[in-house]
Amino acid sequence: MWRFAWKNLLTRPLRTTLALIGLSIPILGVLGLYSISGGLKNLVDDTLEKIQGVVVLRENAPSPVFSSLDPEYVERIAALPHVKNVAAEVWGFPPSVEGTSFMAKAASTELLGRLRGQTQQQRMQNLFDPVILSGQDIPAHQGLQTAVFANALLPPDQGGGRFLDHRDVGQNRIVISRKLARDFAGPDGQPKQVGDHLTIGSGDAAEDFEIIGIYDTGSMFLDGVMITDIDVARRILNVPDTMVSNIYVEADDPRRMSEVASAIEAALPDVDAREMDELSTDFTRLLGDLDKFLLMIVSLALLVGVVGIVNTMLMSTTERFAEFGVLRTNGWSRGDVLRLVTAESAYLGLWAGLVGSVLAMVLVALGNQFIGGGLKLVLGPGLLGFGIGLSVVMGVLGGLYPAWRASRLVPMDAIRLGAR
Amino acid sequence: MIDVVDVIKTYRRGEQRVEALRGISCQIPRGACAFIVGPSGSGKSTLLYLLGALDRPAGGSIRIDGADLTGMSEADLNAYRRDHIGFIFQSFNLIGNLTALENVLIPFLPRGVSASLRDRAEALLDEVGLSDRKHHRPRQLSGGEQQRVAIARALIKDPVLVLADEPTGELDSKTGDEIYRILRRLQTERATTLVVVTHDRRFIRPDDLVLEIQDGQLLTDS
Ligand SMILES: Nc1ncnc2c1ncn2[C@@H]1O[C@H](COP(=O)(O)OP(=O)(O)O)[C@@H](O)[C@H]1O
Ligand SMILES: [Mg+2]
Repeated sequence: MWRFAWKNLLTRPLRTTLALIGLSIPILGVLGLYSISGGLKNLVDDTLEKIQGVVVLRENAPSPVFSSLDPEYVERIAALPHVKNVAAEVWGFPPSVEGTSFMAKAASTELLGRLRGQTQQQRMQNLFDPVILSGQDIPAHQGLQTAVFANALLPPDQGGGRFLDHRDVGQNRIVISRKLARDFAGPDGQPKQVGDHLTIGSGDAAEDFEIIGIYDTGSMFLDGVMITDIDVARRILNVPDTMVSNIYVEADDPRRMSEVASAIEAALPDVDAREMDELSTDFTRLLGDLDKFLLMIVSLALLVGVVGIVNTMLMSTTERFAEFGVLRTNGWSRGDVLRLVTAESAYLGLWAGLVGSVLAMVLVALGNQFIGGGLKLVLGPGLLGFGIGLSVVMGVLGGLYPAWRASRLVPMDAIRLGAR
Repeated sequence: MIDVVDVIKTYRRGEQRVEALRGISCQIPRGACAFIVGPSGSGKSTLLYLLGALDRPAGGSIRIDGADLTGMSEADLNAYRRDHIGFIFQSFNLIGNLTALENVLIPFLPRGVSASLRDRAEALLDEVGLSDRKHHRPRQLSGGEQQRVAIARALIKDPVLVLADEPTGELDSKTGDEIYRILRRLQTERATTLVVVTHDRRFIRPDDLVLEIQDGQLLTDS
């Protein structure tokens, strides 16, 4: 009977193919959506794993760049129990780097990239996130266990150089990412190296920086950051010394992190003390909302796919009434006819799921070729299984009404309908 | 023994009621060969389909070997059609997606086809002279060949009753003769009851039972 159902589908290849496409595209959508959000979630988790302290920001500030705090808070936080390290930071968008303002940057890197024969991937990466300057209170940061950028420094044999230390206080020295080193390559196309220089600001305010270290976190959320001394950054970013952007805090025991965070929020009412797993849950919730929204759109597409199957199966059952009459005449029950038609649409669903899955695998593989910044789309067997299962369920649902209609016919009417 | 008592069948065509059968009573002995004749639209097919349990009469009763079709449940009717009734139609009604052999096996497809059933189907196709056509599709067969497949399909269940609705209506007269020869032969060999609707009296033999219908009623004098 399954073979019979299968043959019935093959009899009308064009119609079958169309219905198949109609359902496989939304299945592709579902799989793509989940693989992107899964990839994003992994990336965020990876990124946040690198930052294990508590980040203290102005209440409701979305990121350090938009936060300002009273520098006195450093002392007050340091005085709280179980606080081990407290390090102030200043964050901001530098006016321009190497004479490129960031409005123009996207366009020019695209153009230059083409001129230099850069790969699509390199140029795409250049278009991602902006460059951010971070000034660190160097002595305080040297005591940190989980200093993100210092820990991500390239090994010396790969040209990693060194991180900022006491010698660099007040000096125009800077640590940049491997990505930025490539973005700001010299006219010869050579990426910047340790010992090379970098100009930040333009005109009279332009300042020359020596690159002393190169890091690579592998996360596109972090690799746009250049790190220098806090007072140097103040000068470049025009930040008065009556404020800092954020304060990075480590507890004496990583397990006391949330305790410390609550203590900080209790002591300083106008700040948010964000733990990373809290940020991670925030982000996960955001992704969840996004997922829900996209899922709604995909559900609509799925609905259209199912309607396509209903339509296909209605056409195919309507023109086969005589055939169902013959089957009933030969003792097939209503249930047998119902099963036959449902089996046909289940096959449709199965194939749509397989086609959608193969497309999704191809697109994810392609996507991972072109998307950098540490974002890896994931499409595991579980997700594929879910996609195919969903597709079969959709196929069966789409086939139920036509199947019911076909099975309901009185055999005599079916025969006569067919004879006309 | 088929015992038809006062059978009524009406169709609704919009607001109109069509009385296709208006109280038909007749008896067909077991193993007989009966012909239902009459003008077009007189209700011949309707009576035949009711005998084959393809629908229920609006009134009256039909008993076949003591079993009352009118009182049977849906499931019993399915089983009855599957196991006891062989049907042959004017337009052959083979299924285009199945080979000749698979068409013969249709009654058993939902429950699985055993090797012995398959052998039986092949033997029947041999009997109707289609040994070398078993794996052909209906569209690769001539009308006469298709009707012979339909005969094999009707006989695979060893039916007590074979019903044929104008089985030669779409065939030329030579092929028609051939079909009747096969039907007659198999019927006498197996001693099944055969009921044939036709308006071609050419095939009727003196000792056949003839039921003549006009306007949904039996003419008793024939
Ligand atoms: N499904 C139906 N709906 C309405 N009228 C029908 C239907 N089937 C048959 N009829 C009518 O019932 C009468 C008997 O039909 P039928 O049994 O096919 O006659 P015959 O086989 O003798 O030509 C005809 O008048 C026909 O038009
Ligand atoms: Mg008729």
